[in-house]
Order: sequence, then C-alpha cells, then structure tokens
Amino acid sequence: MLTDFLQLTVAGLSQGSVYALLAVGLIAVYTVRHVINIAQGEFAMLAGLGSIWLVSAGMPLIVAILVAILSVTLVAIAMERLVISRVKNLTPLLSIILTLGISTLLQAIMLLAWGPEARGVPLFPGTNLLIGGVSIRSQEFWMMGALIVVGGGIVLFYEKSRWGKALRACAEQPVAARIVGISPVAASVLAFAIAGFVGGVAGVVASPIYLSLWSGGVLLGLKGFVAAVLGGFVSFRAAIIGALLLGVIEAYVAGYVGSGLRDGAAFLILILVLVVRPQGLVLKPTAVRV
Amino acid sequence: MKKSRLRVIAPLALVTALALSGCSTANLGGDSAPDGDAEKGPIKIGAVLDVTGVGASLGVPEQNTLNMLAEQLNDDGGIDGREVELTIVDNQSTEDGAAKATSKLIESDKVDIIIGASRTGPSLAMRPIAEAAKIPMISVAANVAIVEGSEWVFKTAQNDVVVLETILNDAKEKGYTKLALVRDATGFGEGIADYITALGSERGITLVTTESFEPSATDFTPQMTGVRSSDADAVIIWGINPSAGLAQKAYVQLGVNKPVYHSHGISNQAFFDAAGDAANGVIAPMGRLLVADQLDADNPQREVIEKFKADYSEAYGEQPSGFAGHAFDAWHIAVNAIKEAGTDADALRDELEKAEFTGISGVFTMSPENHSGLDASALILAEAQDGRWNLVKD
Repeated sequence: MLTDFLQLTVAGLSQGSVYALLAVGLIAVYTVRHVINIAQGEFAMLAGLGSIWLVSAGMPLIVAILVAILSVTLVAIAMERLVISRVKNLTPLLSIILTLGISTLLQAIMLLAWGPEARGVPLFPGTNLLIGGVSIRSQEFWMMGALIVVGGGIVLFYEKSRWGKALRACAEQPVAARIVGISPVAASVLAFAIAGFVGGVAGVVASPIYLSLWSGGVLLGLKGFVAAVLGGFVSFRAAIIGALLLGVIEAYVAGYVGSGLRDGAAFLILILVLVVRPQGLVLKPTAVRV
Repeated sequence: MKKSRLRVIAPLALVTALALSGCSTANLGGDSAPDGDAEKGPIKIGAVLDVTGVGASLGVPEQNTLNMLAEQLNDDGGIDGREVELTIVDNQSTEDGAAKATSKLIESDKVDIIIGASRTGPSLAMRPIAEAAKIPMISVAANVAIVEGSEWVFKTAQNDVVVLETILNDAKEKGYTKLALVRDATGFGEGIADYITALGSERGITLVTTESFEPSATDFTPQMTGVRSSDADAVIIWGINPSAGLAQKAYVQLGVNKPVYHSHGISNQAFFDAAGDAANGVIAPMGRLLVADQLDADNPQREVIEKFKADYSEAYGEQPSGFAGHAFDAWHIAVNAIKEAGTDADALRDELEKAEFTGISGVFTMSPENHSGLDASALILAEAQDGRWNLVKD
C-alpha cells in the first residue's frame, strides 16, 4: 500500500512540475502586464509538436528541442509586440478575450500543420529506476529537473538579477519604475519571453510521456491557471508549491477515488480557493511578491 | 494586486476557456447539392467520423479511405451512371457532435445511407436518429450494443464479445486463471468487465480487478499501480490509441511484469508511436490487414487486402490501419447494396441484411439476426515486435 502511495506521489510530482512551469509563465505575464494569458498552454503544445516535426525532419533530439523552445519564445514575443502592446487601456477582461483568440488561432495552426493526432517527442536519454518497488521513469526525472533548473532559475533571476528586480519593480510600482528609467516596453517583452520559454520547456519535457496534441493546451493551461491562483497570481514560490500539490492531489484522486474525477479535482480546488482564500497559498496577502 | 478583481476574472477565464474547447465546428465534407428525385440524381452517402478529438487515430484513416474509394468509384462512372456524393462530417469524437452531424446529414443533405461513427459512444448516439428517420447506418465501431436489436443499424468492426472470446481462449490455453482489466471508460469499454466475468466462468477464469481510464488520459500510474498490486496472472488493456499505447508504456515502465493482451482497438501505427519499445510482446486479436504478408497464399482475404494496401499507400504515402479497413468494408457493403437495391431506404435495408462480402476485417455474412456479420474466424492473434505485428495464430 505504501508502494502504491509513493508511486502515485511520484506521478503527481512530475505532472505537477509541468503545471508549475506553466504557472510561472502565467504569473510572469500577469504581474507585469495584468494580462491573463489563456494561450499559455498552447505554448507547451506548440513546442512539443514543433520538436516532433523537427525530429522527423532529421534534426537531432537536443537541437530540435532547443530550436522549438526558442521558436516558441519568439512566438510569445511576437504575440506581445503584434497584439498585446497595440491595445490601449488593456483590462484583464480584455486580455482574456484577446489571448483566447490567440489561443484559438494557435490551435487552428497546429491542427492544420500537424493534423489531429496526438504524438510524442522521443524519450529523453536516461534509465528508469526501481527503488523499493516504486518505479521512477527517466522522463519523470527530466520533468522534475526542468522545474528545478528552469523554475528555480527564474525565481533566482527575479530575486538576484538587475533585470529581475526591474521586472518586480514594474509589478509593484509601475509609475515609479518608469520614473527611475525602467522601460515598460522592455519589461513587457521580457515577461512574455519568459512565459514562452517556460511554456516551451514544459511542453517538450512532458511530451514523451503525456504526448502533444493541437487541442491539448486548453486543459493544461487551465491546470497551470489553477496553480497560479494558488499562488495568488503573484508568488512564484506559492504557485510552484500549489502546482506540485495539485499534481499530487490529482494522482491520489485518480488512484483512490476514480480516474474520471481527476480533472474535476483541479476545478474543485480552483473554486474552493477563489471562494475561501483568494490570495491562495500566499502567507502575507498585502505585499506583492514575485 | 487587486484581489477583488481577480475574484471576478478568474472564473470568467475558466468559463470562456471551457466554452472554447467545445464550440468549434468543422464540416470537412462537401456541399449540399439541390435535392434530386429519389431514384435519379447523385447517390448521397454521408459519413460521421471521429476526425478530431480522442478518436482521431481512427477517424483520419477512415476519412482517407472513404475519400479515396469515392473518387475511385466516380472515376469508374459511379453506380449505374449515377454519381456518388460523399459528405463526411467530423463529430469531434463527441456523442452530441455525432448526433448533430447525423441529423444534419439526414435533414439537410438528405443522404441515402450513413457510415459511422468511428467509436462506440458516438455510434450509439447516432443509432436512435438513424432509426427514427429510417435511414440505414453502418457503424465502423466495435461494441455489439450498436447493432443489437436494431432494424436499421449495421456495423463492420469485429464484435467485442468475439474479440474477448479469442483472448480468453488463449489465456485458458496458457493456464492463466486470474485476469485484471484496464479499460476505456467510454462506450468502447462499457460492459467489458461483465463479458469477461460471464465468458470467463465457462473457462475457469476470474476477473480479479478492473481499472478504467478516459480516452484523453495521459497519466496511467494510478491504474497500473492497482494492477501491479493485484494477484492477476495476466492483464487485458482495452482501449484505443493514443491512450492504449500510453497505458502500455506506463505498464512496462512501472514494472507490472505480467503478460498483457490488448483489444483490436490498437491495430494501427499510433500504437507503436505511443508505446514505443514497450509494445514488444503485446498480444492482440485483430483482423488480417496488418499481417497480410504472413497469410497463407490461398487465404480468401489476401487479394482484397493487398489491393487496398497498395491503393492506400499510393494515395496517402502510409500504410492503412485496421480502422481504414473497417471503413473500406462499410463503404463496399453500402455500395454493393445500393447497386442491387437502389436508394429506396426499405429496399436498401433489406439488401444490407443479405450482404455477403469478403473484406479487410473478415468475410461478412449479414442476416436479419446478425447485423455485424463477422464471427471468430475474422480474427487472428498477433504479437507486437519491433514496430510490427507477427502472426501467432490464424
């Protein structure tokens, strides 16, 4: 029984790592631009399907993945430059409608370009481990590793680097940030680049076992959204913890209650959090912390 | 950070995104031509297929097959000089999409016969509509419930009961007495546990545990964990791809280490794409299409299969799947019946009940009592090895 419990926990943590990366992207954009990016999940699918296409065109796996992640980062920047930045008086509601449109457009492009069938990137190198009856798949190490390296890197970037501090300044005091010479344009572009990058990373590490599908981004993006809400849409750390919790809870629900209820669990959590504790897992609800 | 605002927009985002996932429409078929007289003008064949969504790995090759066959038929002058007009509608792998598509084909396109859907759930949603309108329908899905007791509905995929019997006979020969089932949670997997219990009791086989998964599922750890800790001798995974392939991959990666059977729902390349090396050693009952090169030279199906494979790979640059074969059979059974009986619905239905056809999925013999037309002889057992199927029992 303990083996089963630990097995479900491993699956939940690796799935949660993917949600966490998407939540990081959502929060990066929201804190700087107050845009709720519905297309965040599409970034992941775009990177996954793009890598598969590049691999099938003969590119080595590692190169294909890097090119795909970079391309998705550029797509995110293009989205900011061509659409988001053109809108005067951008409200969060308007941002939802706009990014919903972009999400639909990206889905349609993926459907036309790569067809309706789900596909997976080849497994990354590595061996599966069996520890005390609990099997940990090599790809699950990659998923959790991606969160530690990329997610952790972005948290450090925000806390330690000059650019990161500038982004936080834009989030906390946009007017003051402008007065001290931080370019709002550059900050916005950087935020979208981060969103595209983490979305792309999430998409390629998850694809070998969870597959990429033109329409798969909606649900994945929503799970990232739930995690971001758990982080009060301000705190990376709280959102990452929330995402891992979400992944694990989903796995327990699927394992002990019924696999059909797995997605329901996420939305039940979303509703409960929004009603009972809208600041999510953030402990000090007054300060903006990113 | 304004919390009150977030409280409003968060559910809003959720609702819009959910609405989005269910509101796109795609009509992949042709145009609706003006109505001709019942026995003149073009013959109208409608098809409702799972072209997008979870059934895409079935619906796409079926769509390809029907388009190819319609073109071939019209190039040869149609049926009795009448052109055949094929309209394919995508049901997006949903039940309500299938029901709507069926109504549209019947009411606005005025089709003479309907082919589809790709999966059991959507097919069951179409059945009452076709019956109420008294339009013959040929499903390409598996569950026997689609045709049971129906006057107007036929199907071409092998019955799931026959598939299960084939699996259970093999299990009995190998001495397995306890089976675990991991099944598709939708129509295709419905009732499978009961069949195994009933058919198994005659063979001294009991079902010790049942797990289920959604066809859109990507993580199979909970199900495989349950199977791993059961005392089953062997496991049946019952689903379609990509989910069945992903389940197989998780099965091997989580070290279940029991022999595994799959259903005929995996007879396509998508299984190997999703499962990779984890597919090796899987045993599945299926039609003869994927092992055509290993059949006896005098097998009656060999010629028709080889021609279909050649035509399909020439048209689409890839090998056809078992599902393409179900569509091939449905098309020919429909066209042969129209050639005999014309497009009068009652005459056509009576003709379909007399249909005999040597096709891709087996040798069909329809009758008023049997609207499926295939028995256990339509199935072989094959074992997966390095991305291909090897014939183990014909």
